[in-house]
Amino acid sequence: MPGKAILFDATKCTACRGCQVACKQWNDLKGVETTNRGTYENPANLSVETWMKIRFIEETNNGSVAWLFARQACMHCTDAGCINACPTQALYRHTLGFVAYDKNLCSGCGYCAEFCPYDIPHLDTNQITGFGKMDKCTFCQDRVTNGLDPACVATCPTGALQFGDRGELLMQGWSRARTLQGQGHPDATLYGENQLGGLHVLYILDRGASTYGLPVDPQLPLAQTALRDIMRPVGYGLVGAVTVGLGVNYLVARARMVREKEDR
Amino acid sequence: MMDHRDVERFSGSTRSLHWIVMLSALILAVTGMVLYVPQWGFIAQDGYTRVIHRVAAVFFVGVPLIYFITHPLKTLRFVLEAFTWWRDDWKWLKAAPDYYFGGDESKMPPQGHMNSGQKLFWTIALLSSLGFIGTGFIMWFLSEQVTGWGFHWSLFIHDVCLIVGGTMIIVHFYLGVVHPRMTESLRSMITGKASTEYVKGHHGKWYRETSLKPRKMNEVDNT
Repeated sequence: MPGKAILFDATKCTACRGCQVACKQWNDLKGVETTNRGTYENPANLSVETWMKIRFIEETNNGSVAWLFARQACMHCTDAGCINACPTQALYRHTLGFVAYDKNLCSGCGYCAEFCPYDIPHLDTNQITGFGKMDKCTFCQDRVTNGLDPACVATCPTGALQFGDRGELLMQGWSRARTLQGQGHPDATLYGENQLGGLHVLYILDRGASTYGLPVDPQLPLAQTALRDIMRPVGYGLVGAVTVGLGVNYLVARARMVREKEDR
Repeated sequence: MMDHRDVERFSGSTRSLHWIVMLSALILAVTGMVLYVPQWGFIAQDGYTRVIHRVAAVFFVGVPLIYFITHPLKTLRFVLEAFTWWRDDWKWLKAAPDYYFGGDESKMPPQGHMNSGQKLFWTIALLSSLGFIGTGFIMWFLSEQVTGWGFHWSLFIHDVCLIVGGTMIIVHFYLGVVHPRMTESLRSMITGKASTEYVKGHHGKWYRETSLKPRKMNEVDNT
């Protein structure tokens, strides 16, 4: 899977959330008012105004507590549920490998949000009329196609975020994961090499992916495969066959009636 | 001698119901299919087709509901008739190809107000409508509440209903309007009346039942 990728090293993240601010600043997204929920993690969820955030995880292990941080934003999957589900082709794969979208084409149907295994796309839909548009991390398309790093990467002070060729980041990530394994983290791993055909956001984790709230083996929903690969051809086939059948019936019945008239 | 008197087949309210439901179903199908056929996707952008889809859905659900409230017994009798299958209905289905292709009416058993083909259409139309309405309701109002698979399979069933119900509508349209021998069904759904000759031939059982009642033919009340 060639193209570009973002590499997130969970062991280097201090949760300063400079990336969250940089994302909002570069993409001109409004701040959202939040309430104290008993955690520094803020806001609670991604939204049309928040395309990336740092998740805070408290792990208790034999009486000691570990405070873990994980980046949450679009994973830019290769087998992307959102691209498959999008009926207007507003979502598409950029030549650099990430999942881009043309907001003008968005119909606001929300299928992308429903079929995303990571719950990333969000919409500001009006419940009654259904008007709304989807927004999510754009991979800073406007920056990366002009030789700049994504805003979150550019601002990261600890080097927890890197941007580069996916192949190189894979090698770098695995080497770091193996180092961590040797430093007493037997479950350390690189997440994202093979999930959903390969993600364009890779995670260096010192613990199992599930500890960080990431699905170990995410799958596209069965209903989606059924919709796309079975129902569409079945629908076209049935309507086609019936139309042809009725056409044949018309010709036969018509010819028969003409003959009846002649016989009379 | 040909009998040219007319028999009333459908009351005014039934005909209004038919055309309003037909029109909203057509609008629903077109505005829904922009999300089904990838090449039509661009029409859906900005979501105007969804507003039209939802307005049509309100009519599609509301008008039959009003009909049911104002004509409860008639509606129930109608549904009951559609779901009641007699041995004659199987005979009718077996004889149907010979009639619809060759015009051979001899093997067709006499039919009630609704013939077996119409019963079949009605059963499928009713079931797919219920499927559309149930899953549509979930996707419109409950998308926040249902878990992922609830939405996924709602969408799937919505599509299955389109394929099954849509195909039946094509057949219904063909038999009602296009088929060379169906000379009176469209007229009866527009004016409400069909010739006695046609009714005797196509709905013999119903004609016998209604003509035995002591009233004039053109006053016959029916479903």
